[in-house]
Amino acid sequence: MSDSPKSPDPKRFDVSRATLLFDRLMGWVIRFGGIAVILSVFGIFYFVVKEVVPLFHAAEVEAAGEVEAGVEPAVIGVDEWGEMPFFYDGGGKVLFQHMEDGRRIEFDVPGLGDAEVSAFSFDPVESRMALGLADGRVGSFVVNYGREYADPGESKVVPSLEQEPWFALENGAGPVTALSYGASGEARVIVVKRGSGEQASVSVLRLGRKRSLIGKGKLTLIEEVDISPQLEAEPVILRASQNGSVVLIASADGGVLYFLANSSGVSLREKFHPFGDQVPQQMNFLFGGVSAVMTAPDGRQSQWSLFRKTEDGERLFGETKTFPALGEGPVAFAASQRNRTFATGAGRQLSIRHSTSGAVRMEGTIDLDPVATVLDAKGEHFFAADRTGLTKRYAVHDPHPESGWRAFFGKVWYEGGARPIYQWQSTGGSDDFEPKLSLMPLIFGSLKGTAYALLFSIPVALLAAIFSAAFLPLSVKRVVKPVMEIMSSLPSVVLGFLAGLWLAPILETKVPSVMLVLVTGPAAALFTGWLWCRLPIEVRNRFAGGMEWLMVLPFIGLASWAGWCLGPVLESLVFVYKDPASGEAIADFRLWWPQVTGCSFEQRNSLVLGFMMGFAVIPVIFTIAEDALSNVPKSLTAASAALGANRWQVVRTVMLPVASSGIFSALMIGFGRAVGETMIMVMATGNTPVTEWNIFNGMRTLAANIAVELPEASVGSTHYRTLFLGAIVLFAMTFVMNTIAEVLRQRLRDKNKIV
Amino acid sequence: MKPVVSDSANPFSTTGRSRAGEPWVWLAAAGLALGVVMAVGLFLLILVKGSASFWPGRIELLEIRNGESVEKVAGFITRESERKDQDGKLHEEIQVFQGNKDLIGEAFRYVDRALIVKSSRPESLVRVERMEHGPAILKLVAVETPEGRVDAGEAGFDAALEAMEQQSAAMRARVMRIERKQIGAVSRKMQVLEGGGRSGSIGEAERDERRAELQQEFEALKSEAQKIDAELAKSRLTGTTVDGREMVISGDKLVGVFESNKAGFGRRLGEMFHRMWCFLKDDPREANTEGGVFPAIFGTVVMTLVMSLFVTPLGVIAAIYLREYARQGMLVRIVRICVNNLAGVPSIVFGVFGLAFFVYYVGGNIDRWFFADKLPTPTYGTPGILWASLTLAILTLPVVIVATEEALSAVPRGVREAALACGASKWQAIQRVVLPASLPGILTGVILAMARGAGEVAPLMLVGVVKLAPSLPIDDIAPFIHPERKFMHLGFHIYDLGFQSPDAEAAIPMVYATALLLILVVVTLNLAAILIRNRLKKRFAVSSF
Repeated sequence: MSDSPKSPDPKRFDVSRATLLFDRLMGWVIRFGGIAVILSVFGIFYFVVKEVVPLFHAAEVEAAGEVEAGVEPAVIGVDEWGEMPFFYDGGGKVLFQHMEDGRRIEFDVPGLGDAEVSAFSFDPVESRMALGLADGRVGSFVVNYGREYADPGESKVVPSLEQEPWFALENGAGPVTALSYGASGEARVIVVKRGSGEQASVSVLRLGRKRSLIGKGKLTLIEEVDISPQLEAEPVILRASQNGSVVLIASADGGVLYFLANSSGVSLREKFHPFGDQVPQQMNFLFGGVSAVMTAPDGRQSQWSLFRKTEDGERLFGETKTFPALGEGPVAFAASQRNRTFATGAGRQLSIRHSTSGAVRMEGTIDLDPVATVLDAKGEHFFAADRTGLTKRYAVHDPHPESGWRAFFGKVWYEGGARPIYQWQSTGGSDDFEPKLSLMPLIFGSLKGTAYALLFSIPVALLAAIFSAAFLPLSVKRVVKPVMEIMSSLPSVVLGFLAGLWLAPILETKVPSVMLVLVTGPAAALFTGWLWCRLPIEVRNRFAGGMEWLMVLPFIGLASWAGWCLGPVLESLVFVYKDPASGEAIADFRLWWPQVTGCSFEQRNSLVLGFMMGFAVIPVIFTIAEDALSNVPKSLTAASAALGANRWQVVRTVMLPVASSGIFSALMIGFGRAVGETMIMVMATGNTPVTEWNIFNGMRTLAANIAVELPEASVGSTHYRTLFLGAIVLFAMTFVMNTIAEVLRQRLRDKNKIV
Repeated sequence: MKPVVSDSANPFSTTGRSRAGEPWVWLAAAGLALGVVMAVGLFLLILVKGSASFWPGRIELLEIRNGESVEKVAGFITRESERKDQDGKLHEEIQVFQGNKDLIGEAFRYVDRALIVKSSRPESLVRVERMEHGPAILKLVAVETPEGRVDAGEAGFDAALEAMEQQSAAMRARVMRIERKQIGAVSRKMQVLEGGGRSGSIGEAERDERRAELQQEFEALKSEAQKIDAELAKSRLTGTTVDGREMVISGDKLVGVFESNKAGFGRRLGEMFHRMWCFLKDDPREANTEGGVFPAIFGTVVMTLVMSLFVTPLGVIAAIYLREYARQGMLVRIVRICVNNLAGVPSIVFGVFGLAFFVYYVGGNIDRWFFADKLPTPTYGTPGILWASLTLAILTLPVVIVATEEALSAVPRGVREAALACGASKWQAIQRVVLPASLPGILTGVILAMARGAGEVAPLMLVGVVKLAPSLPIDDIAPFIHPERKFMHLGFHIYDLGFQSPDAEAAIPMVYATALLLILVVVTLNLAAILIRNRLKKRFAVSSF
């Protein structure tokens, strides 16, 4: 036997373990990596949402310690850290009691001596206690809290009292029975009631500081005005506003009188009845001193604010909001010293409300019957004391009181406004500024900008797509399509800069020319077509189809040039502005437009924007619509042409209907691109959040607003989170549109496959 | 009759034989014409305006009637326009750039053409480029150097002027080196020292000693720089303005002199290229309105490259997973639609996300873990180039995924099966056959992503771009790469110059030049992508069966 040929290695078809292992490894790497990338891309939106969620949290309140004061407090006040409340019972002593370490300090009311206090009131914003004495004097003292730093990291609150001058009343007789002190720096006012029943008299004291070279000068009485004759019934509640200019007096007939105190004196401006002939049980000013919250004896609560009811009328009180009614029982009220929040409740009820949005931030109960309540300066602690002096501290956590669905998407009646409106104004000059965070003007702006952009882009893009898909020779199409694609990738910052600095100044004086060009250009194209088909067929046959777009160029060029030059003529014929003062006639569209329509004319307007956005939107719509039209099966177009349809009929009756959903999806994508466009909007619109469709002014869009304001917003603030909410709205708008478009496109693809 | 043959997409679209509907065809033609004209016109506009901003113009000497007297104004005519005054009368108005901002205050002057008595271009007027206050327009009088004074018109004047220019440039480069590098290094050492001191790694006494040493070094360098400046200041160029005021430009402020009216075409062309070169290589001056844009170019390039470093592997892996590994079903279809849609999500939304996630969440945590000693001053928890690159990577991820998926699916099934039949494992088939075949497609996607990333500005405003960055994100100071630094960007430069600049009018030429540069970058990238894509189509036309 000879050796059989060496049999092949039976393992020759086995794969090396290394290869298999590596294959499996790579399989896992790709799977893991792919899923991780996709998940993380969508997971990113979790972080955006996470920033927004706290906006919709209600306020949280929890008990945070209690203390026994041992006196029956009539007034309670607290330092800005919420550590050391003080108690005042209407006597000669003020008691401070620390919440944690049990420190107790008692002060005598400064400058009181032996006199008897017969009335008092406390203003937590300025920390000022106003006192009225049985002998007819009024005065005040201020509770100051300081902080002493003993060791590093340790500090303690140190209270002190600061005396202010006493003033003897001239009007009226008897002990002071009620008073209220309103002060803001220089302007101060005290409203005082003496006696009661038939003998009651009310006077308003205006105080001022004498200017002196050194220091602030002495506080002196400017005048004492007796307003009793103007009262028709006995006054029940007196309130002077923080800004020292508004005095409200609720009287026994249910009427509330509004007196204005300013340098020209004190005058009655208005009398209103918040609850018919029921006397308000509580009447309190909110932070800023422009609004007051009234509470009826049955617990109904409403807000009255100063605003101009007519365009040039006086600022008077009107009811702007009603809140859900409180329960039965005596009503407690504590206004925030930082924003328009207030804590209120009947009996043991605690309700934290925000006046701007009219929202109830929290509704709950506390476990004592409060006789005195206060919110600390940061709005983080709420103190309530009962008859026995037991005082409880509640931690209030409400970082975004001004937020809520209603604030972002509803009409809100802001202080000083004549009606509820949509408004965006995120920052203001003063401390008592009320942020206006309605997203509606921004959404409107986005839609307006998009509408004007699409108004110009859709016709141009669709016409171009039809021509390109139906008539353009392939060799030309291979050049034209990339040109359009490159146009779509032009940086929008360049477009925006051209819109704002180049186009806007040119178009500013040329509006009539633009109008004419918009008419003459298309007309010239149509006319050329009309003329063309009247040429003899021999002539027409010499030209291959598909080059019409080059042949039409000189005609529309000429017509547009003619329109441009005739613009001033049109202006002098039609757009003539008559100066109401001199009666002179000036041909200027910029003046004519506001006079005739009442709308403004700005240089950076929607016309400029619409044109420039065309550069960004036309290629997007063109590319997708062209694809849809090109993919209409040849069998359909050929069949229609074979049946005798001319070339436009093929387009109109076959291509357009078949590709309609693709064209629609192109419009959606175009919409998405326009809504989210940022730099053109920032640079070409003027960025004022107006809500009118006027083509000759600008807008402020969601995207532009984010780009402009987010870098400056402080992290974690309501403003910051609201901008994130804007981003989510923007995202939702485009994502929904794009998804619809994508689904439509896929369906179209399937349909064309079957055909 | 001869049949008409055309290579039209629709073989039945001959020129209209039927009259019905023909005007609409022409209207559609007009639509396409308008689209193409817009695209080409915009490009030409930027090209012309951008190039024109480098072209050295002629200085006009205008004599303007001003009441009884006649006023002389010299400058470059930058714009001619029509203005309508209060009573509707048209005026031809020209805008003159008269320079000499330190003497006159306003760089621009608007002149009514009707008031011009005489205009001329005297050869003696020159444009002097300065370090401060923008260019000056002067009639030169003399050059004074320590060697002596040479009056204009004397034999050696041109040579002396040139020598002075060259000396200024050389000396300034030295001062720059001292200030930027050496003083910068000292101050960084100082920072390290202070940081180390706070964490308590070296003793108090030792620290004081070293601080004193560094302080001394710093003083020495500073005085050296001052000495050079003082040396430079000794040479002076004097000239008179057209209204007879004298201007003295010391050597440390002089950049260059160009005889705008004397120079012929060749010299002007040379000057144009010189200005282009300076624009590319110089740092900005005078609140970005003068000088060059080098830091912005650098920032844009670095950011785009870092972005593509992130986006390419991520996008390719995700696409391979979706196309090759995932089971093709409803879920993958939905994911695909969503990925497609992400490409249409506004870029500003990605910016907002980048701020929330990268800057405040990731950056904030990095600071807490590694840079706790520097808190509350953030190191990574603040916008910077790394976060900007990552944000743009997320933004452009859909572009890469979609392009890669398309490229992968374009690889013919036969090729794939052939590889498997030869015994390749799945990964081997992908690695050796599918990926190489789809490489051009992937490359197209990456280039398109880079083009999109380079031109995007809105998200960058939130995650790291600034109008003026003190230092580049990559330099020769350890650790050489500074991913936490803020950076400058061409696109943001345009926005900032055009809309935030205190002197927007003077900045306009710079804006056009920057816009031209940015558009050239973006268009070049796009053209490259299109060319690659076209070649790719041809290749598969051969290989498919």
